[in-house]
Amino acid sequence: MSIEIKNINKGFGSFSALNNVSLDVPTGELVALLGPSGCGKTTLLRIIAGLETPDSGNIHFHGKDATERAVREREVGFVFQHYALFRHMTVFENVAFGLRVRPKHTRPNDAEIKRRVHELLNLVQLDWLADRYPPQLSGGQRQRIALARALAVEPKVLLLDEPFGALDAKVRKELRRWLRRLHDELHITSVFVTHDQEEALEVADTIVVMNQGKIEQIGSPQQVYDQPATPFVYQFLGNVNQFNGHATNGEIQINNTELKINAPELTQNSPVLAYVRNSDIEVYKESQHTTSTINARIQHIHAVGSLVKLELQLSHQSDVIEAELTQVRFKELALSQGDNVFIVPRNIRVFPSTATQ
Amino acid sequence: MAQKNSLPGFNLSLGYALLYLSLIVLIPLSAVFIKTFSLSWAEFVEAATAPRVMASYKLTFGASFIAALINVVFGVLTAWVLTRYQFFGKKIIDAFVDFPFALPTAVAGIALSAIYAKNGWVGSLLEPLGITVAYTPLGVIVALTFIGLPFVVRTVQPVLEDLGAEVEEAAASLGANRWQVFYKVIFPAIWPAVITGFALAFARAIGEYGSVIFIAGNMPMVSEITPLIIITKLEQYDYAGATAVAAVMLVISFILLFAINGFQWWNNRRFGYVK
Repeated sequence: MSIEIKNINKGFGSFSALNNVSLDVPTGELVALLGPSGCGKTTLLRIIAGLETPDSGNIHFHGKDATERAVREREVGFVFQHYALFRHMTVFENVAFGLRVRPKHTRPNDAEIKRRVHELLNLVQLDWLADRYPPQLSGGQRQRIALARALAVEPKVLLLDEPFGALDAKVRKELRRWLRRLHDELHITSVFVTHDQEEALEVADTIVVMNQGKIEQIGSPQQVYDQPATPFVYQFLGNVNQFNGHATNGEIQINNTELKINAPELTQNSPVLAYVRNSDIEVYKESQHTTSTINARIQHIHAVGSLVKLELQLSHQSDVIEAELTQVRFKELALSQGDNVFIVPRNIRVFPSTATQ
Repeated sequence: MAQKNSLPGFNLSLGYALLYLSLIVLIPLSAVFIKTFSLSWAEFVEAATAPRVMASYKLTFGASFIAALINVVFGVLTAWVLTRYQFFGKKIIDAFVDFPFALPTAVAGIALSAIYAKNGWVGSLLEPLGITVAYTPLGVIVALTFIGLPFVVRTVQPVLEDLGAEVEEAAASLGANRWQVFYKVIFPAIWPAVITGFALAFARAIGEYGSVIFIAGNMPMVSEITPLIIITKLEQYDYAGATAVAAVMLVISFILLFAINGFQWWNNRRFGYVK
């Protein structure tokens, strides 16, 4: 079932949590709402679920207005960050809950409930825990039970609020791959909230980057990573360097160096912000004749891991930037701390410098 | 217990706890029993089961039980309102709940009887309906409800806070209606705390004296509570008779509290709480 969100506004007191947000979630997609804490992503998810009422705007489920529909009539499965399992019920009863509370005429009989619950417990690979109580399970197990419980009511939409946020790093990684596989099997329209970019990039079909109650960009993981639409998305996703410069005549000037870029929309002599990914910074020991270079000095070298990270001090500005080299390239250059180097930024993306605020 | 523990001073602190308990609780209570032994068995039975005394047991335990039940219903409701909603003056209402703890019970008793007397604010409204509160067993229940309220609220409140709104939201998203959310999710979770609150309110009511005697009227066989009988006997220098009644009360209270605690222990085990 598709979800259409139209012009949603929501405030808490004087704080505006969502500011005219519109979003379409196509049927069967796995969408991540990504953003820093306080950006409104959880509020948006709760509005979709019906746990929160928008001040204005509409939610449509499959073309039908669901804005006024109560939570229990929306047919959504909701998974909470802290599981929210019923701890006085066994795992089996937790999963069976949604079936048992149905009105008599639609409630399945006991044998059918038993079959369905065990089917779901097998799906989350925890059938052997059916008789345990939630406090006896690990965090990862609890979250899988919470998911099975949400799926028991055959929801049209699955909503997950920071589902792996309370788990440790290893379990989190395991579970998000598992969630992806599960989604590929079930194809249920799903929206999950996360502040973890890695999680969103790895799991989602579509990422919605949010900031301060607004949507900054909607796109595939590749799109939001490779072509960030705003300075915020640049800074939020991946490692990036920010240069302060000036636009002049289709060129920008950074650190007394003219760099040719193709940005005709920039006005003459205006302050700009240029963004370059750490991995797009090339480092040379000699000045390059074919292209303009920026002078810098190596301040620090982190050589642990598959990539070598350099901290570089620009010669005419106080800015420190970071560059990533492969181990091979690093050895080839034979760099050491304090060396003067020449850097060439590739894939520069320039924004007028007012765009950050 | 001989093994090393990261928390030092087990022997010292246990010794102190036992000494303290003995001085404050166990020795005075055992004195009750020792004094009772100055009576012969026949005298004891006569003192402890006289019709007037039997009527007072019935009133004390009956009224305390009903008062504790009333407190369970309204105490849970109060705790619910205080944990789930934000409203103007919430802090003040929260503080009001403790009033029965802090107020001298005699003051409460005088205030209650003034209000519920036939010419009092509330009493004058109930009078035309044929309901008399002051100087009847009903008055006893009102006084005992008053002093027991904070026990239920204060035991249930933290559990409700701990339970969080999320489980309710989870239940609602799974299709449960409000009533189902309450009796299938909230109530089982707060049940042990409710029982504890009930037991505390009940125990407090059984021993209550100050607030009751003003509103009860203290008519023998009708509205006379057991603590008053004990006081009366003491005033007549019938120490042994007073302790006989006291010993019976003590034993019944002990059995009741023991039963409630046992029930709770069973309940916790059944739900597999890992503490």
